[in-house]
Amino acid sequence: MAGGGEERNQRRGTWQPYAMLSPGMLWMALFFFAPMVILARYALSEPRDRFSGKYDLTWRFENFTEVFDRYGEQFLRSFRYSGIATLLCIALGYPLAYWIATRGGRYRNLLLGLVVVPFFTSYLVRTIAWTTLVGDEGPILGIAGALSLEGALDSIGITTNGGLLQTQTAVILGLTYNFLPFMVLPIYVSLEKIDFRLLDAAKDLYSSSRRAFWKVIFPLSLPGVFAGTLLTFIPASGDFVNAEFLGGPNNQMIGNVIQNEFFVQFDFASAAAISFILMFIITVGVLVYARIFGTDELSV
Amino acid sequence: MNRYRINQMRAAQTRAGLNRRQFLGRAGAFGGAVLLTPSLLAACGGDDEDPKGNGGDTEPGPTADPNKSTGDLLMSNWPLYIDPTEDGVTGSVDLFKKATGIDLTYNEDFNDNNEYFAAIQPDLANGKAIKPDIIAPTFWLVARLIELGWVEALPLDQIPNAANLLPSLQKPLWDPTGAYSLPWQSGMTGIAYNIDATGRELTSVEDLFDPEFKGKIGMLTEMRDTLGLVLLGLGKDPSTISFDDAADAFDKIEAAKNDGQIRQFTGNDYQDDLVAGNFAACVAWSGDVAQLALDTPSLRFVIPEEGGMQWSDCMVIPKGADSIKEAAAWMNYVYDPVNAARIAAYVTYNSPVAGVQDELRKNPDTVGLADSELMFPDEETLGRLKVFKALDEDEEAQFDDRFSSITTG
Amino acid sequence: MTTTARPRRRLGDLVLAGFSILVLFYLFMPIITIVAFSFNDPAGKFNLTWSGFTLANWSDPFAGGDLLDAMVYSIKIAVMASLVATVIGGLVALALSRYRFRGGALINLFLVLPLTTPEVVLGASLLNFFVAQDERILFFDVSRGFRTILVSHILFCVSFVAMTVKARVRGFDWSLEDAAMDLGAPPLRVFAKVTFPLIVPGILAAALLSFALSIDDYIITTMVRDVGGEPTFPLYIAGAFQREVSPQINVLSTLILIISVSLMASGSILGALRQRRSMA
Repeated sequence: MAGGGEERNQRRGTWQPYAMLSPGMLWMALFFFAPMVILARYALSEPRDRFSGKYDLTWRFENFTEVFDRYGEQFLRSFRYSGIATLLCIALGYPLAYWIATRGGRYRNLLLGLVVVPFFTSYLVRTIAWTTLVGDEGPILGIAGALSLEGALDSIGITTNGGLLQTQTAVILGLTYNFLPFMVLPIYVSLEKIDFRLLDAAKDLYSSSRRAFWKVIFPLSLPGVFAGTLLTFIPASGDFVNAEFLGGPNNQMIGNVIQNEFFVQFDFASAAAISFILMFIITVGVLVYARIFGTDELSV
Repeated sequence: MNRYRINQMRAAQTRAGLNRRQFLGRAGAFGGAVLLTPSLLAACGGDDEDPKGNGGDTEPGPTADPNKSTGDLLMSNWPLYIDPTEDGVTGSVDLFKKATGIDLTYNEDFNDNNEYFAAIQPDLANGKAIKPDIIAPTFWLVARLIELGWVEALPLDQIPNAANLLPSLQKPLWDPTGAYSLPWQSGMTGIAYNIDATGRELTSVEDLFDPEFKGKIGMLTEMRDTLGLVLLGLGKDPSTISFDDAADAFDKIEAAKNDGQIRQFTGNDYQDDLVAGNFAACVAWSGDVAQLALDTPSLRFVIPEEGGMQWSDCMVIPKGADSIKEAAAWMNYVYDPVNAARIAAYVTYNSPVAGVQDELRKNPDTVGLADSELMFPDEETLGRLKVFKALDEDEEAQFDDRFSSITTG
Repeated sequence: MTTTARPRRRLGDLVLAGFSILVLFYLFMPIITIVAFSFNDPAGKFNLTWSGFTLANWSDPFAGGDLLDAMVYSIKIAVMASLVATVIGGLVALALSRYRFRGGALINLFLVLPLTTPEVVLGASLLNFFVAQDERILFFDVSRGFRTILVSHILFCVSFVAMTVKARVRGFDWSLEDAAMDLGAPPLRVFAKVTFPLIVPGILAAALLSFALSIDDYIITTMVRDVGGEPTFPLYIAGAFQREVSPQINVLSTLILIISVSLMASGSILGALRQRRSMA
């Protein structure tokens, strides 16, 4: 996966690479794999009682099928919300990245900075600001009201009972918002690498700039889109903050369920089982993805 | 549950252009308008508490070494649940420190019973002590902690003022021997509404299910408050309910959630939504609304005609705490009616300490509060309040499971 | 290019620019709200609805000492976490891109796993790990607090660092090092003079990313913190949302925004200057 072939003059390491890897790998072994083993143990265990935290490892695989049956809806909902949010991020982020890369000129860095600046404020503070914006007395519904759009918005399902806060629209809006930079930056990076003289050459070839774009530029920028998709979709599908602050009781995601199973129900077995199902789905998706496109694109 | 107190009271008052007396006057006036008095009478009052029934209960377990002492003390309590210490001199915390020399750290980091329990469970389950020496969970969590053996018996001989505990709260259901807990404050659960949004006074639990308010109703994630109120609305008694009998109430809440009647289940933050106009009406706690109404005069609080819920948040000493002497000194301090009145005047919940009403009456600044129905509900109102049944572990798991399958649907 | 295509292209440009500016506006909507509400005079304790303009909140920007303490605590954790994560993550990245060795592909897979693990799962597993002790398989007993928060933050930063640095040094011609060594430079000197300057942009980006991730983390921190211990900034905000939303939160957020924007601006001005000088 490392795309080893791409590296020029890689050395053949003897002990050096292992020495360099050891602190990082030790850290991961201790604080990622060991905790995961404990979690896996819970996923196959039965509680002795509710609160003592004592679990007996009984290799109970039913934990998995039970939670899958019970929370199938929330799984689907999570992937639906994060899928829509990812698509929206592409729809909003690609044109923005393209504009900055091609028309930004010497303001490129400034414009890129503008994409990142909002994220210097805390995630929670931003999300609370969104509750103000989409609240019943907030400016968005105020404008919609002034334009007499309430009825229309309700009928197409954007608002529910005339409200925006605590609806799925608000959750998807929040997810899109919070992960948009993770889409814009990788797309920008891959667009920046493209030699735009290609576009001129392609225009001669295809005669229309639209066709030239779709035939030449877009395919070359796909690695950025794929990287952005991973960086958006993975955290979005496990997120619970947006659903908690912006969603209602009918919009809870699988992250909220895990949170609830761990910290309200104290059903560590179920919570761990859900966690592993979620991780399994995501990891398989990523591996398939990486097989095709390479994991190096996973970073900005 | 939430217990807010006027945040930075002085700042808020100046901002609203009120002086303290005016503020209390308004609070008093509001308190008078707060509780409807429907025709039901106290007759039905199920008092399960048997105030003087001393019946030699078996327990209390081993008392913590009453001489364990470190010179400092850490209490975790609900936010805005004590008079503020902003000038560092006149707050109850400051006065206590000065009077006793004990270095009290008072943290307002108890935001949610389940969340807090989840945070302390891993340590206490493994026999490790947690940092706080006193915490103030809600009664049902107190019962759970006692059952699990995760709290120390109180050194009551060092707390002579514990004798001031109101008779109705002595040896309560959640602590049948009274050996482990002392209430910090009690309060009532009813319905808060914004009259501008509802267009009418609300009187019944059924009003929460009125299709006219579709998508504008809030309920609490505290199961005992939400479920208790809905049970009362269905004519059932939450203090004796079984899981099977509660099925109707669960179904009713679930149906209302599914069709969008209920907008959100919240914790303390229901106040955000109420004030911001996202809720027209919601299940709410008594002390909050009086305060919120100062800034939003269209807010009302009612104990519905079918009845309301009553609860207490109680001080307990977590197992293994090392400042037993200091904890006792603090408990003794806040159970002195003079100190209890100072705290009560700020929190506007129901003080568990006898003599607070008289203390409030003595002070011209607080005399208006002494007649607040919100702080000192009359017999008729008290008769309509219920305390949720003490659920055993298995039963509680059933209730929690069903309830959270609704709230995280 | 035909003459008829030109106006259409200009129109296309205009649409693209307009759309992009709208997207930027979307990104800034909550920021505008946060800044605007730092001048709000809230009617009650919830600074969520507009009720009047005031400068009062700015009269003492650092009022509300707890809020500031939380910020300082968060910065302390973020600085330490990003430093450690950058060093150990950077070493992993260098090893992977510089050497060919057995197990490289497997390590790449390991690095992806923390990134594909939802935060709530990572947090819960860490919590269970930290409280599991003596009787269990583990030899490591850490009571929750500053150390556990730090350790967890380093963990979720390491993968990001490794990935970022790896991407930046991809395609780097390692034979430059050989050339330097052939010229007689000792290995440390080679690293300082050749390797390090080349990887520095990647390292810097990774450190900044780690800092941002750490200072903003809520989900994991909430599980590995100690009860009754100091809250980090996000924990403080989450607690505050339950009781009061004070305009001081907006004031402090606005300040942070101003500081980071000016740091960024001065950075890019410096960069531009240096570029001009080197061109001259």
